[in-house]
Amino acid sequence: MPAAQLVSSAIERVLNHLLKLDSDSASGLKKLAGKQLSVAVHELPWPLIFNFSDRVDVLVGMPDEEVKGDCHLALSIATLQKLKDTSQITRLIQNNDLVLEGDLKVAQQFSQLISELEIDWEEQLSQYTGDLVAHKAFAFGKKLVQNTQAQANRLVATLADAAIEEKRIAAPPILVVDFCDQVNELRSATDRLEAKLNRLERQSTTKPNKQSS
Amino acid sequence: MSNNQVSDSNVDSSETGQTSSTPNSPDSNQTHFGFKQVDKAEKASMVAGVFHSVAAKYDIMNDLMSMGVHRIWKRFTIDCSGVRAGHKVLDLAGGTGDLAAKFSKLVGENGQVVLADINNAMLQVGREKLRNKGIVGNLEYVQANAEMLPFPDNHFDVITIAFGLRNVTDKDKALASMYRVLKPGGRLLVLEFSKPQNEMLTKAYDLYSFHLLPKMGQLVANDSESYQYLAESIRMHPDQETLKGMMETAGFEQTSFHNLTGGIVALHRGFKF
Repeated sequence: MPAAQLVSSAIERVLNHLLKLDSDSASGLKKLAGKQLSVAVHELPWPLIFNFSDRVDVLVGMPDEEVKGDCHLALSIATLQKLKDTSQITRLIQNNDLVLEGDLKVAQQFSQLISELEIDWEEQLSQYTGDLVAHKAFAFGKKLVQNTQAQANRLVATLADAAIEEKRIAAPPILVVDFCDQVNELRSATDRLEAKLNRLERQSTTKPNKQSS
Repeated sequence: MSNNQVSDSNVDSSETGQTSSTPNSPDSNQTHFGFKQVDKAEKASMVAGVFHSVAAKYDIMNDLMSMGVHRIWKRFTIDCSGVRAGHKVLDLAGGTGDLAAKFSKLVGENGQVVLADINNAMLQVGREKLRNKGIVGNLEYVQANAEMLPFPDNHFDVITIAFGLRNVTDKDKALASMYRVLKPGGRLLVLEFSKPQNEMLTKAYDLYSFHLLPKMGQLVANDSESYQYLAESIRMHPDQETLKGMMETAGFEQTSFHNLTGGIVALHRGFKF
């Protein structure tokens, strides 16, 4: 069974389902209608071809014929993530991380369509659970996220404060070196004193013996 | 699936691997209807009867019989079609319109898709299904015989026939007709049951199609005979190499085939230059 067709089918299903969940996506799709975007990801053995109409159809490019469509991108998965920052595109092309042929607008419009999807997940959930449960679940979720963020912010602030305060009262390296030198001198002096005491002790024990003899 | 194509699987030779132009029937007025020999004139109505009977349950039976894999086979066909916006596509023996629905989106508003089938019942089911899905505008429905296509010469960029050719009475005539209406540079894609390439798979497939399939047909569509015919007609269809040869005889160039699911199904492709 051709695995490529299974993958393209899954991508197509997910994409169209997401697009259906945002009623505003229709206008974005309209701009792309009739266009074709071919994407060759280095990690995939076959290119994917996105055809736009009132939906997105995903085809698999056949090895014996090259389909480049209105826009063709060849890149790796790592580069795909970098594409979010459009100011990087020129640098990526110069570094040969990205091959771009055709109308860049098609790729940009598709990227915009996906990144600007606004899906009301609470509304979606309410279709299965009812409004009350969906609202409570999302309110709880939001509160949890807010609390977690607040805790994280507090922790970061505490750490930052501590680091700044510690830095101010912490001994500079030269003082630490001086302190270490002093400790060494003290240790030497203590050793000397100990040796002196041992010698005196030995002398005091040998003298009475001589007197008695 | 077309029925006229359906009409009869032209006295062919498929069994023996010969081309359909070499009838293996003792009587040239006789032809195959599954494993039976019937009068050529009768077969068209017999096959029409099969498709009238299964039309309503056609999609659900396809999903059941193939366990959904027919969708993957059809996707592969579309991937091999090279269809682009503005193309004219003929989906022959288009049945309930699985391929036509997808092609309609791919060719866009400037393109054209013709869903043709000889069987009116199948065509009606297809038309209703696609209209309910909102697929209208660039899609036309034509009741047509694959052997005598009612279209001008050099008209289509792509022709597909999925699970229909084996039902055609005179396959050579149908292939010649397809060649005529195809534009130079255009391609024909034939998706059809074929010969499994593995001994074990062949045995399992025989067991499934001759024992399980008619029972499933009885349970779901209340019609075991039509599915018995399906299993038999598949065995009577030319194998991969024979069909490739028939396409070449009809004038197609750069012909090739891809076996799918171990050769249970094969996609043949040929170009007109």
